[in-house]
Amino acid sequence: MKNRFFLVVATVAAVVLMTSCGKVPQADIDAANAAISAAKTAQADIYLPVEFAALNDSMTVITQSVEAQKSKLFKNFKTVKVQAGALTTLAGQIATNAAVKKDEVKLEAETMLASVKTLLADNQALILKAPKGKEGKAVLDEIKGEMTVIETSINDAQALYDGGTNYMQVLDKVKAANEALTAINTELNDAIAKVKR
Amino acid sequence: MRSLVKRSIFLIITAVIIASMIWLFFALIPESPLSELESAQEAIAKARDHNSVIYSGKTYREARSYYDSAMISWKTENKRFILFRDYERARMFASISEKKAAEATKTTISKANDMRENLDSEIKRLTVRIKDFERLFSSVPVPQEIKKKHAKGKLLLKEAVIAFNKGEYVTGSVKIAEANEYLTDSYAFANDKLTAYYKNYSRWQEWASKTIRESRERGSYAIVVEKIPGVCYLYHKGEKKYTFEVEFGKNWMGDKVSKGDNATPEGRYKITKKLSNGATKYHKALLINYPNEQDLEEFRVMVQSGKLPSGTKIGGLIEIHGEGGRGGNWTEGCVALRNSDMDVLFKYAGHGTPVTIIGSSVPLNEFMSSR
Repeated sequence: MKNRFFLVVATVAAVVLMTSCGKVPQADIDAANAAISAAKTAQADIYLPVEFAALNDSMTVITQSVEAQKSKLFKNFKTVKVQAGALTTLAGQIATNAAVKKDEVKLEAETMLASVKTLLADNQALILKAPKGKEGKAVLDEIKGEMTVIETSINDAQALYDGGTNYMQVLDKVKAANEALTAINTELNDAIAKVKR
Repeated sequence: MRSLVKRSIFLIITAVIIASMIWLFFALIPESPLSELESAQEAIAKARDHNSVIYSGKTYREARSYYDSAMISWKTENKRFILFRDYERARMFASISEKKAAEATKTTISKANDMRENLDSEIKRLTVRIKDFERLFSSVPVPQEIKKKHAKGKLLLKEAVIAFNKGEYVTGSVKIAEANEYLTDSYAFANDKLTAYYKNYSRWQEWASKTIRESRERGSYAIVVEKIPGVCYLYHKGEKKYTFEVEFGKNWMGDKVSKGDNATPEGRYKITKKLSNGATKYHKALLINYPNEQDLEEFRVMVQSGKLPSGTKIGGLIEIHGEGGRGGNWTEGCVALRNSDMDVLFKYAGHGTPVTIIGSSVPLNEFMSSR
């Protein structure tokens, strides 16, 4: 009688133990997925693409682990639960970092936009001082035309900036404009310096 | 005693049978396709990190699709009774996925290399094209629209270089294709214009050599004006004595056709009047006999053939005058010199001094390679 009692207790304990570890931690997985979606909303895929790809890889590993456990007779989702929890934390961190990075790029784009606008104005002023010797006027006309095109590009960059969808694209556009304006600035300053000598 | 032995044997046999059944049960549980799925996922991640989605999109998407099929198959099998599960389809899909991902990576590496090399050579080619355009055609009067095309092409090239340096070869290639279109158009326009202008080169050569020969034979002064380099030569006894920088009409490239076209005439002329001391607003001036007989004949043919509307006037009062040195070509068809240069020219040139105005004495191919 005593032995039978112990057998029943042991069986119940084993069943409880097995079922407690054998349930998919769906809530944790859903939380991890939600955290990844939040990171995407924070544009982590644009501003921290490597880290964002790593998040997706981790979720794939979790999905594989779930199925791997389901393939077993005695399922144990403890590791999956831990992995999902860690991924949720990491995704949250990456979302925060992406927002910080976005702000940094935004600030850089804003500073560069202001800087190229100043450079454009400087160049427009320098054109008035530049010598108009042989072929000088033709060159100046060409520079003026070039600056009109650059100004249009800067306006496009400003529109992209105002749209706020991708500040990386703004930066690339402004960098090109900055290079072109810097080259013109050097050319004009050199021409003016030659005349002063 | 015998029954105890029998009972023990029965228990042992039962235990062995149960143990064997348990062993058999576990042995019959199929192994999960985890390692195959992991390998496939690693291959996909590698392909993705190489930007296969851009360079080998179709194969990459196929790899992902096969991976998804493998997962679905795995999940479906997991819902069945443990001994009835069959993971072979999942394994097969995972294996195809891995192969496709590896193929995507390989193609991507090759395509990215090709694209990088193409982009690099295109950047170099277009950089030379820009330099050539600015070196050869800076003084060619091309419309503002063409100049803007050139400037737009230059800016796009810079954007392409930025993308190239970031390893974004697809973006770079898109930018370079746009830049190429703008730069090729502007270069072709300017090149065509210059080439068309040079069609008169043999006439220019003939006029200039005749003028210089006559100066030598008669021991007299002669003026030869070349539009492309923007110079005026004063010859004496067939020898070049002075070289002056000059400026022309705004529409200098081409012969003068009619009044108000802002073109400087081309041909063999003579000085008909010397103007100074307030007789001209341009410091000093030498009036030439434009239109000459040939100009009048050409004008008549153009009007008769309808190339010029009836009522068009041929124009006149073409001078070599002072007040030059402003930069660019600004006159309404005259040839302008700096006042100090005009003083020198005015001193030696007289009534009847030949003035020959041509495009250039340098042949086109020499001009294109020498500048």
